[in-house]
Amino acid sequence: MRINNDVEFKAALNGLDIHQQRRVAAAFIESVLPLCPDNRVSSALGMVKRTGISDAELASAYREANSARVELFTQCGKEADWLGQAGHFVAKATLYCVKPPEPGINLAWEAAMAARMARTCETVAEGAGTENHEAENQYRILYDLLNT
Amino acid sequence: MSASLARAVNVLKEVIDAPIASYFASCVHCGLCAEACLFYTETDDPKYTPIHKLEPMRRVYAQEYTLIGRLLKWLGLSKPLTDAELAEWQPLVYDSCTLCGRCSMVCPVGNDIVYMVRKLREGMAIAGYAPAGVLAATQRTIEMGSPMGVKLPALKAQIGHIEAETGLTVPLDREGAEYMVLLSSMEIINFPEYLSAIARIMKQAGKTWTLCSSAFEATNSGIQIGVSDLARVIVARIVEGAERLKVQTVISPECGHAFTALRWEGPNLIGRPYRFKVQHILEVLDELRVQGLLKTQGFEEKRLTFHDPCQLVRRGGVIEPPRNLLRMISNNLVETTDPGKYNWCCGGGGGVSANDDAEAIRLIAFKRKKTQLDAVKPDKLVTACANCRIVLEEGLEHYQMNLPVVGLTEMIADHLASD
Repeated sequence: MRINNDVEFKAALNGLDIHQQRRVAAAFIESVLPLCPDNRVSSALGMVKRTGISDAELASAYREANSARVELFTQCGKEADWLGQAGHFVAKATLYCVKPPEPGINLAWEAAMAARMARTCETVAEGAGTENHEAENQYRILYDLLNT
Repeated sequence: MSASLARAVNVLKEVIDAPIASYFASCVHCGLCAEACLFYTETDDPKYTPIHKLEPMRRVYAQEYTLIGRLLKWLGLSKPLTDAELAEWQPLVYDSCTLCGRCSMVCPVGNDIVYMVRKLREGMAIAGYAPAGVLAATQRTIEMGSPMGVKLPALKAQIGHIEAETGLTVPLDREGAEYMVLLSSMEIINFPEYLSAIARIMKQAGKTWTLCSSAFEATNSGIQIGVSDLARVIVARIVEGAERLKVQTVISPECGHAFTALRWEGPNLIGRPYRFKVQHILEVLDELRVQGLLKTQGFEEKRLTFHDPCQLVRRGGVIEPPRNLLRMISNNLVETTDPGKYNWCCGGGGGVSANDDAEAIRLIAFKRKKTQLDAVKPDKLVTACANCRIVLEEGLEHYQMNLPVVGLTEMIADHLASD
């Protein structure tokens, strides 16, 4: 069945185990990855996409993604660079993709939300209004992954 | 004397009011303020003694407002303030003072050293001795209404994102709402989860609330840089918005100095009392808790500690509300040494985090926070100031400490009882 809204999207994500959540999250991030030029993010994402990743590798990817996320924050009082901020949210999405599981937190959902924020920042930077289609894009990505 | 120096001296003469004169006159040179300042304790360099940071202002005070000083000046025996000295003091006044107020707290004769630093900043800024980053933020505030250049379309973008995520409506310009919610620039840019948390909490509490399109930001760089006229403009914009929308209460966000600016300085800046109440978000949440309108479920499994934002505890007295709220969701809350009103600053308040010149000293000063955290070894650090949050994250990253930092409002929202 097609995914048409966030209720269905969240329900589908809640049915995934942790490995599937990471795989789906990685696909969401792929879609916005060009918004983040930081090599640590692409490197962390590359690691998580490999099959049979060890806990030590996951921990290393977490550290890389977290360093990038913290560095890419817009600091208090600094002029907002929305495109740069998009990079921060891509790093944040990546962090969710590789972080250890936590009760009550669906890593794929959190990654999806951060990826959407990255796209929103891009539209703000471009002065293109507030509309974008990242959510629909994520519905399609999830649907495709669930049906392959 | 250069024109800018003359202006600075004139401003300093103007801002030396009765309290400042009495503070200088009553200083007993005990040095307690040094031990209260993280820039001193982490460097052992006496130049970071808070009262020493005020030396240019003290000289003007002595030469202009004391009998002996005026006599010495008349005889040509006192040293006039110079541009070079203002340049030398700039890093002391801006880079190594977060306006945290710990020095004021410990002063045995009750000198409000922070108040004095802010007044000195006013003179320094006029003379051009303020960091470029802070000046640029101020300029953006004047030109765009926001120190970080956040405009309404950016807020609307975030609203759209949050409405999609939560399925809730984020009201804008709703007249007659009980609460008008303000945001810090940081929450709009970095932490959309704050607004999402507000939407979910207000829904559960059954309260009406709104954002205001003409006054959605609480950030007040006029307070940070020490320019009262600008601080007044920013406060007046919020007052106009709140009165136009006829709201009962304005909620100051998770931002320390915004609370000081609006709650404590605001009425004096605009010269009249407000027609609405101002509360920090943690005060509102605690009130909802007492009224039984804030219901949570589940407990954090991890060991938590709370970083008290300086402006909330020392200037604002908001000490118990965060602890009451944390106890709703944690049985494993540990306090660092010196919690509450004596807590140590994150090192980035008062415009320091916006000041590139201050980065190195800020990271050195962070060692104080590191020591506090190392002693209690929490699994998660909770705070209620977006600026503290980022400064803490940067410090933790610098010292390779793997410790997640979260905002308290968002943490409470994540534990809301489901209907």
